[in-house]
Amino acid sequence: MKPKVAFFDFTGCEGCQLDALNLDAEDLIDLLNGIDIVNFREVMTERSDNYEIAFVEGSITTEGEIERIKKIREQAKTVVALGACAGIGGVNCLKNHVPMEEALRIVYGKDAKYYNTIPARPADAVIKVDHYVRGCPPSTSELVKVIKALLLNKKPDIPNYPVCVECKMAGNICVYEKGQTCLGPVTRAGCNAICITSGRYCWGCRGLVDEPNIQSQKDILNKYGLTAEQVIEKFKIYDTCSEVLK
Amino acid sequence: MNESSVLVIESDPIVRESLSGWLSSTGFEVTSAEDGARIVKVFAKSDFNIVIMDVRLHSETQLATLREMKAIRPRIKTIIITSHPQEEKVLEAKKIGVVDYIVKPVDMDDLQKIIQGTVESICRDNVNITEDNTSFETSGDDLVPGIKKSFAISRENLSLMVENLLKETEVIGVKAKQGKYVYDRIYGFYELSLDYDVTVSPPTGYMFPAKETLLKFKTGNGNHVEPVIEYTPRVIIGVHPYDIKAIELLDEVFMNHNPDPNYTARRENTVIIGVDCLHPSPRSFAPSMGTNWTETGFDLLLTDIGNSYIVKIGTEKGAELLAKHTKYRLPTGDEIVRQKKVRGEALNRYKIALDTPKDRIPKILEESYDDPYWENRSATCLSCGSCIMVCPTCYCFDVKDEMAMNLKEGERFRRWDGCMLVDFAKVASGENFRKDKASRFRHRMFRKGKYILERYGKVGCVGCGRCSSACLAGIASPLEAFNSLAENIRLKEAATSVIQPAKQARHIYTPEMAEILSVRQLTEKEKVFELKLKSGKKLGHYPGQFVTVSIMGTGEAPLSISSSPLRGKNFQLAVRNMGDLTSALHSVEAGATVGIRGPFGNGFPLETLEGRDLLLIAGGIGLFPLRSLIQYVMDRRYDYGKVSLLYGCRTPAERVFTEELDFWQNSKEIDFHETVDMPCEGWTGNVGVITNLIDKVDIDPKKTMVAVVGPPVMYKFVIEKLKKRDLPDAHVFLSLERKMKCGVGKCGHCQINGIYTCQEGPVFSLTQLRSLREAVL
Repeated sequence: MKPKVAFFDFTGCEGCQLDALNLDAEDLIDLLNGIDIVNFREVMTERSDNYEIAFVEGSITTEGEIERIKKIREQAKTVVALGACAGIGGVNCLKNHVPMEEALRIVYGKDAKYYNTIPARPADAVIKVDHYVRGCPPSTSELVKVIKALLLNKKPDIPNYPVCVECKMAGNICVYEKGQTCLGPVTRAGCNAICITSGRYCWGCRGLVDEPNIQSQKDILNKYGLTAEQVIEKFKIYDTCSEVLK
Repeated sequence: MNESSVLVIESDPIVRESLSGWLSSTGFEVTSAEDGARIVKVFAKSDFNIVIMDVRLHSETQLATLREMKAIRPRIKTIIITSHPQEEKVLEAKKIGVVDYIVKPVDMDDLQKIIQGTVESICRDNVNITEDNTSFETSGDDLVPGIKKSFAISRENLSLMVENLLKETEVIGVKAKQGKYVYDRIYGFYELSLDYDVTVSPPTGYMFPAKETLLKFKTGNGNHVEPVIEYTPRVIIGVHPYDIKAIELLDEVFMNHNPDPNYTARRENTVIIGVDCLHPSPRSFAPSMGTNWTETGFDLLLTDIGNSYIVKIGTEKGAELLAKHTKYRLPTGDEIVRQKKVRGEALNRYKIALDTPKDRIPKILEESYDDPYWENRSATCLSCGSCIMVCPTCYCFDVKDEMAMNLKEGERFRRWDGCMLVDFAKVASGENFRKDKASRFRHRMFRKGKYILERYGKVGCVGCGRCSSACLAGIASPLEAFNSLAENIRLKEAATSVIQPAKQARHIYTPEMAEILSVRQLTEKEKVFELKLKSGKKLGHYPGQFVTVSIMGTGEAPLSISSSPLRGKNFQLAVRNMGDLTSALHSVEAGATVGIRGPFGNGFPLETLEGRDLLLIAGGIGLFPLRSLIQYVMDRRYDYGKVSLLYGCRTPAERVFTEELDFWQNSKEIDFHETVDMPCEGWTGNVGVITNLIDKVDIDPKKTMVAVVGPPVMYKFVIEKLKKRDLPDAHVFLSLERKMKCGVGKCGHCQINGIYTCQEGPVFSLTQLRSLREAVL
């Protein structure tokens, strides 16, 4: 009996779902031999509310979304947060730094009165989440890895060490050595340090490791010339700052 | 470098001039200066071996100047001229590089003697460190390349050799990248940077890559498993001596004692062309670790002496390569002198050094295990693993299974792992045997300075300085740790270790297939499996040993053997459902195939137990491993005196092997007592902790041997109780749990201090454990 899998989107760009489809044709066929996709708005019109595994994408930003995701949790045996918005709050949380009325006014102008919003939050702020497919967007290989682990009933091999490990494995020259700064030392690996390997730095899109040494990371950013405010800005983009500000 | 270059710092112009004039007339190269503070700036750029300085010892400024000079040039020899030498001040000065002092007014004869002595000691130092057994023979077969011979080769001819090599093999070389140096594939000689300081990553990754497949497998019927050994023949050019020393360590680890076929294949197909490090990184302290020169470990070794290179032959392979690919000649006398000179100059370019002989490091560490240094210094540790990922002597790894999307085939791969990462020593039950930053930080320093040296006889830190460059928190340098701890130590005896060879296997990571003959539920969470090797052979284990069990696609885990080797060809594994592997194992049925490696480790010391009274103590599922010994003893009951068995668990529902418990309860051959912590309705037996049961047994401490297996928390209390009954440490044996992956003393996870639980353990005597602080008893 193939497990029935459903994909749901909340507040986000839906890029994670789009990226999920970037599989090789052969792998896609193998994947569909293992699971039954019963709900996936971006690729199919059929919909069913009978599923065991739910992938939720996007962060929670309205009261309505809270109710919706709770219903999904009741139905699904396993809930997987797909991407940075669902997993750690993501870019939507940038608005949490201004009052909600102000956020509505900036976005909707004079029509703001027709809308409602609450501070953005990850899925696990509302329901229990069993697994995470991390990244912005997550790599297809990580999504596949998590699905395979679910089918094999084992823990997905997602590291609990920082990006530095994979960055060094890739033989990169440290971003700090080039006089720039990077969130690699506290961000969970699993991306093969793709941003640094491509000449950029780590933005922290995969969230923090389980035991990040935030104080030390802040001190290092200071040492490399960032002011306290710039340090917070650095952590803001994917909302890893909520941990930092604690 | 001129051994007799002197810097004179003296404020009185008359004294300065006369001293300088006299020194010049006796053959010294003299530079003079009015005061030390100003000279410090130019000091770094010049080559002085001796400083003669007029010092008022009570002047903090002048002492600071001395300190600063010592920091820039650790090997500098300073002679001070002073008016009022107080003993404690002189001692203080000696700590900061002052070799001798002379009291004003200066007697020139005395000064000459002191300077002469200092020059001689500098020469001696350099000779010791640059000692080279090369014989530049001049007989008839001069030009026949042979091991240990040295030749000269022009830059053009070196280029010719590299270009010729490129025609037939992959060549890895050091090249510049974004202002740093890296090892990378090269396609022409012009890409090489042979005068580099240090590379970002070491060359060891070409023998031991960050990730590699060990096995490929198909699941389902037959469970087809195939070892994978992949390698590309290649030449690595430009390896510095400290990295060559690191490769020699990896050779020792991976090619001796349970040879690792994957590493071995790669290593045997790698040619190493070394190059002397003449412009070391400011973070390097290779001379302190004895790794700045090497006589072994390379096929060829180059020294850049200006327009040409001296090339030393290390192996037959190197000799062939030289003869085949290029032209070379005997070095001239001048070239031999130049090699000595450039090496001497290189030695003087090292900026930092150990304050203590390297042989003392293991003792320093041993004495410093509880030093607050570890806690204080590791507070800013990010646990980011950068230090261990760039370390040429780090080789620990993790092993994982990855299935293809069709879920029918997959591979088992290994990936670098290391003791600075949070989860490195964490087992499936959640226990983390090195859970705080300080213990991980300390363990790494112990590995680098003590454990590796004691286990393999080779230095565990080659002083390349990469870790201190990579560490953003600035705490990773072993040199700093060793120097900081050096003041607090006393000498103690070195520990020894034994390597336990695994049963000879074609490929140490490939499991043998075994059939599950039966499965029996013991409790809600525990089952016992009876297995037989498909080869029909006996497992050949001793009580207390363990095997690793593989379910291809899920992974591999160590499990202790629960049955006596005296009971036929089959063996039993009792298993609690706790992690991925055990959960998968719990879902298979009789008839299924699993992979087995082992038996591994040291079991209970059967010879020591024979003829003695035995006290066997099991807590919870500690009965699983202990049962192999209990059965064994019952099968050879006549070999033992009185046998007592104590068993305790949390609740009656968690009692395992209940029929056997009943049998022992009624047997006259064994004195059996059991207890539960929390009784349920209907329980009529003992209630309370297991230590209470010890009171029920008559013990003759001289005749009694004790075997204990249980959760870590139980050991402490049981040991306390046994000590109250006067049992000597040597009579108490315990089986310890640690995270394990490879089972063959390679992957590093199961270390308790410097020993490997899979090799020296899992059964240890209490005497052994007393010297292992991480055993936490």
